Amino acid sequence: MTTNFTLRNDVETQLAMRWVQGLDASLETLPHHVSERLRVARLKALDLQRVQLKQTASHLSINGGVATISGSDEEPNLWSRLASYLPLLVLLAGLIGIQEFQNDSNAHKMANLDQALLLDDLPPDAYTDPGFLKFLSVPSDAGQTQP
Amino acid sequence: MATEQELSDFLTSVEKRAFKRSLYHVRDEEAALDIVQDSMMKLCEHYSNKSATELPMLFQRILSNTTLDWFRRQKTKNALFSNFNEFENEAQGDDFDFLEINTASDSVAQSESAEMVLTQAQNVAEIEEEIKKLPPRQREAFLLRYWEELDVSETAAAMGCSVGSVKTHCSRAVQALYSALKAKGLHP
Repeated sequence: MTTNFTLRNDVETQLAMRWVQGLDASLETLPHHVSERLRVARLKALDLQRVQLKQTASHLSINGGVATISGSDEEPNLWSRLASYLPLLVLLAGLIGIQEFQNDSNAHKMANLDQALLLDDLPPDAYTDPGFLKFLSVPSDAGQTQP
Repeated sequence: MATEQELSDFLTSVEKRAFKRSLYHVRDEEAALDIVQDSMMKLCEHYSNKSATELPMLFQRILSNTTLDWFRRQKTKNALFSNFNEFENEAQGDDFDFLEINTASDSVAQSESAEMVLTQAQNVAEIEEEIKKLPPRQREAFLLRYWEELDVSETAAAMGCSVGSVKTHCSRAVQALYSALKAKGLHP
């Protein structure tokens, strides 16, 4: 019984293998458009894999001033996140420092100019200037209360 | 993890066979191409981190599922499985006996001459036609087991059924093909 069963299986396998050899041969005669379409499908699939790989490797970490790309799937820790914001903070602090320095510098220049004007002799041409005459006609205490 | 080259080589090696397999099932060239493309995309999108040795089994499973999804979308799944027993009854006729074939033609192995191979090549279209006519589960088992050369347990895993079912499907598929080809006057 077992012998018959084995024999039957062998014959079945033998027949099946002969038929599928024919199927293998038919693969070589696929139309060009089918082969081309399969090739394009394969390339699309591989492109998709490339995108997947890029997404998993897009984690940017900065260590000791050197930017590196790591492929780790682990979540970045707090210090790594803070470190990634450090250059931005330095840039902002620098910009604010430059702004303050320029303000001080301008104020200092204006103060020096005013001081020089006030201490200098009044030129005679100043009395032909209507604005200066108007300034002289205003009482000194009223001038102080004006905004 | 499979490299891009390994993945590319693997897809190249299976794409034509996968297309034919799908074509036997859906009998629509465009649909078969779409199924193969979808299967390739799914493999690359979800399983490209697997080792190269795991890819064949995964791809067979994906291809089967994608084909089944296509039938679901076509709302013909019930029709697909409804005629499951038709071929079984025909194939189990009284005039069929493999042992008889074996004893009557012990020369089967010896007769693989060049002429025989040529005859086989000419009969490929008929074989394909008869494979398309097999009940879906028998066809799937036959192609996975003998064409994709999976062993019985791998075929069972790919089809989501028992090892015994695979053996039954394969046996009945071979019987049905033998009867059909013999009825056409071809030398099976």
